[in-house]
Amino acid sequence: MHERLSYYVKRDSALHRLNPLTKFILVLSIILISFVSPWYWTAHLLLLLGIVPLCFLGRVSREFFASAIRLIIPAAGFIFVMQSLFQPVGQTIIFKFWFLDVTQESLAFAFRIATRIAVMISAFTLLLMTTHPSELMSDLTRRGLPGQFAYVIISTLQILPQMQAKAQTIINAQRSRGLDTESSFLKRAGSLIPLVGPLVFGSLVEVEERAIAIEARGFTSTHVKTSLHDVPDSSFDKVMRWFLVALVVITLILKIWLS
Amino acid sequence: MALVNLQNVTYTYPITHSPVLQNISMQVNEGEFVAIIGPNGAGKSTLCYTIAGFVPHFFKGELTGTVEVAGQESSKSNLHEWVLNVGLAFQNPFNQISGAKYTVFEEIAFGLENTGVPREEMKPRVEEAMKLTGIGDLADRSPYSLSGGQQQRVALTSILVMQPKVLVLDEPTSQMDPIGTREVFGVIRTMAENGMTVVLVEHKVEWIARFADRVIALHEGKILMEGKPSEVLTSDLLAENGFGISRYTSTAREARNQGLWSKARQLAITLDEAVAGFKQ
Amino acid sequence: MKIEILDLQYSYPTGVTALNGISLTIEAGEQVAIVGQNGAGKTTLVKHLNGLLQPTSGYVRIGDWDTRQHAVAKLAHRVGYVFQNPDEQLFSKNVGIEVAFGPKNLGRSGEQVQALVKDALAMTELADRTETNPYDLSPTWRKMVAIASIIAMDTPIVIFDEPTTGQDAVNIARIARVIERLSAQGKTVITITHDIDFCAENFARVVALTQGRVLLDGKATDVLGQAEILATTYVDPPQLTRLGKRLGLDQTITNQAEFLAALKK
Repeated sequence: MHERLSYYVKRDSALHRLNPLTKFILVLSIILISFVSPWYWTAHLLLLLGIVPLCFLGRVSREFFASAIRLIIPAAGFIFVMQSLFQPVGQTIIFKFWFLDVTQESLAFAFRIATRIAVMISAFTLLLMTTHPSELMSDLTRRGLPGQFAYVIISTLQILPQMQAKAQTIINAQRSRGLDTESSFLKRAGSLIPLVGPLVFGSLVEVEERAIAIEARGFTSTHVKTSLHDVPDSSFDKVMRWFLVALVVITLILKIWLS
Repeated sequence: MALVNLQNVTYTYPITHSPVLQNISMQVNEGEFVAIIGPNGAGKSTLCYTIAGFVPHFFKGELTGTVEVAGQESSKSNLHEWVLNVGLAFQNPFNQISGAKYTVFEEIAFGLENTGVPREEMKPRVEEAMKLTGIGDLADRSPYSLSGGQQQRVALTSILVMQPKVLVLDEPTSQMDPIGTREVFGVIRTMAENGMTVVLVEHKVEWIARFADRVIALHEGKILMEGKPSEVLTSDLLAENGFGISRYTSTAREARNQGLWSKARQLAITLDEAVAGFKQ
Repeated sequence: MKIEILDLQYSYPTGVTALNGISLTIEAGEQVAIVGQNGAGKTTLVKHLNGLLQPTSGYVRIGDWDTRQHAVAKLAHRVGYVFQNPDEQLFSKNVGIEVAFGPKNLGRSGEQVQALVKDALAMTELADRTETNPYDLSPTWRKMVAIASIIAMDTPIVIFDEPTTGQDAVNIARIARVIERLSAQGKTVITITHDIDFCAENFARVVALTQGRVLLDGKATDVLGQAEILATTYVDPPQLTRLGKRLGLDQTITNQAEFLAALKK
């Protein structure tokens, strides 16, 4: 059973066909602009007129909205409530919650920051859904990201589910030796070492073997690396990236000029 | 010309005091299939690492003597160049999957990417290697969805695609079930028949008896005995030193002691030899 | 302690049925080997014996305990399970502490634990390594530490999951001696194994599984002689059994002594 830890949805769409770096910069730009822009409604507009159309463009609307319900809305909602209650701004008290004041200003503040967070999470989700991790890493490596860095990220994505299976086996083995995993919390807290110990030590052995295996296949070779798959980078991509960078710069200038 | 040449090799791992290999001298000629047998702890894995260059370049430690493979000498070479000549596979197939690739095809191409092979060459080389090892139908599968035997064959293919001159295999079937064992031995046999120089560490002596050209018996870091399988695997020396021998051999030996096996006849290693010997 | 399995069915949460109605009775003190191809259900079956898995239907009784009514930690009083990979259970500073872990969990007194650990280490030839860190030992000896850890629990039933994988002949013989001693103590020993020669030489009863059902169940001398049926679950007969058949011997051979005796006739 191959468990997918990546969010990638395999489909053909305009977004999928964009170069990974372009998408990465698109995401960063959206986030930066929503956080830096002096105009209050920027983040909200980006969400409605940016994120939503993009997920249709990427043909991942169904998966995205599922993710929105599970993750984005609860996260943003939580931030909204917390900021409304605890942000000490404003005079116009709307209502009191226990000893906390909810003012009109704090509601406005909360609404903006919650939406900014929603934009941030949405943008990254879109990136992950339309970009295969190895494609992203491959492109970044080609542009100079150290190979070891990319390897650590990708291999973690794949090996983590395997480690989960290993952790489960360890739990079973220790339960079979009478380790109590079903009663009081205190007892269970003490039972961490028999569970974590084998996981760590066993993993050290495996890591050494894996290091030898990839070394045997030239991983640390100083050769210029080639890649099996070509990650296309069209002129549209290049223009797009410069355009996005320009937008961010303009927003920054506006912010500095207007404050 | 010896493709692999070890002369008076003694090796001690870092922080330890006793040498794991003591004064080992052995050669492997091009195209030969040499099997190495011995109890656990005899130094078989260390010997494999030495031929593959990981001793001393990966493990550090103290190495004396000379190690030559494919015209290169260990002390004057580095690991990057060495791995191009020597392919290494070991027991646990799961640990040999890089984790960096999502399909078997890409996994096999990983070594080619690392060593800068041009893109146009990669696809045909990978396809050829997969044909040789019979895993063409696994090309689009995730390496982590495969059985142990399939994973081990992917590991072997990933090494073979790099076209090494010597293949070093450290107990590749120890963790396989019977089906996996059969699959892996099948691949090794194909490679050997195609002229690959193979060094294989194994416990399954009947298989070695049928396919190896030569057997080296390692014991406590020293070479106890070496020669043709029929000589080494039936030797009393092995039986006395805790080596695993085939039940055909041990039964034939005991039968000989009881007068049920002709004294003039060499002890059996395989089923057929045993049948022939006992029919008399 | 008797083991009763009645019409055991098990399906994974994914819907895949692993066990299709297995019924077995294992009397106290028996030595049983479970063989069959990967996926036949061997591990799934055996995990029901100490409660790691619960039946989808049917039941498993260990003595008078129904496994559905007792936690795994409780069933550990009656069933010891030696997992295949020792590195998935070793965590202590030294061998002595590691082996004491099991009996301590079972609530034995300090004195009892000491005695149990001493006996277990003696049986696994580890008596002189009490102070050693398990990870300073070779994989061969780590295996023995894992076995000692379960023996020290002094359970009437002991299960070995593929004990000989990756072991050399010397250690396989050592493990065989451990099994012999456990049997001599009257314990029930159950093993899952691919090593059919090891199975033939140490286990009186063989159960062959295929696709979640029992294919064959009986004395080793009966089961191991049925080469065609065993082949359907990818089990080859032991070396000496094949030799005996090829030489036309009447009885099914399971070990060297039998073979030589039969030859003399």
